[in-house]
Amino acid sequence: MGFQIAPMVDVVFVIMLFFMVMAGAVKVEKELATKLPGSIESSGAVEFNDETIISISDEGEVSLNDEPLDPADSTALPALRATLMRLKESADHAKQPVVVTIESDPHAKYSRAIDVLNALASAKITNVTFNVNEE
Amino acid sequence: MAGGGGGLEKGEPDFQIAPMVDVLLVILVFFMVITSAQVLNIDQTIKLPIAPEASKKDDSRQEAIVNVRWDPTTERSVINFQDRLYERGADLIDPLKAAKAHGDQMAAANPGQNPEFRVVIRGDRDVPALFVSQAMNAAAAAGISDIAFSAVNHD
Repeated sequence: MGFQIAPMVDVVFVIMLFFMVMAGAVKVEKELATKLPGSIESSGAVEFNDETIISISDEGEVSLNDEPLDPADSTALPALRATLMRLKESADHAKQPVVVTIESDPHAKYSRAIDVLNALASAKITNVTFNVNEE
Repeated sequence: MAGGGGGLEKGEPDFQIAPMVDVLLVILVFFMVITSAQVLNIDQTIKLPIAPEASKKDDSRQEAIVNVRWDPTTERSVINFQDRLYERGADLIDPLKAAKAHGDQMAAANPGQNPEFRVVIRGDRDVPALFVSQAMNAAAAAGISDIAFSAVNHD
């Protein structure tokens, strides 16, 4: 018996099908980048931009510049996302960077801060600092 | 009917290429699945938060991976860095300084690499922000301002 092409093709198709099905289920570790708040070193003029502050309460409620937007049970944060999209659009028109600081309550869950960082990533806002208000 | 082993009646069994390729491909699939599982299990006790919009991991620079564990039964957090456990964030400053010094040396030896050292925080989704803040404060005290948070694309 020589080389049989039919079982070979059969096996290759089964493997291809396996990878096509598994591709959607693969868990991939990703990252959300931030900078720590701190001092800057500059000998020239420093331009100050309007800073947007997103607060997270101990219960998980999210506020933008002290205005409550999303309740604690909403992980998708639709109101915050919509506001950030508009903010980014208007800042792009004005050619100004959007600077955002996340202020989290120390007892708020870390996953809530990640929800906010995820909303910022969806609005393509990259100048983000994360700060926890320690008593 | 002499001889066994599934060979032909003539005696010597033929070498079959199709089952050989079949077995090799199954082994290949096995190793591919195992490898991706090992990459994810950096610290099995940590349940990472979900962020579908997060960006792809940047592997082009030197980094220190800080794992922040959470035990819901005792309500205590432990930081795992380089397989050593730290109860307080302040104890992490010196190991992070050493990791940064080593990372800076490695980056200097590879001129094409991004020279800025960073800390990747792998925090459990249920840990209070206060404990993640301790790891961030330790990074700041070690002179590292670039922080990335790990998350998975789905549950």
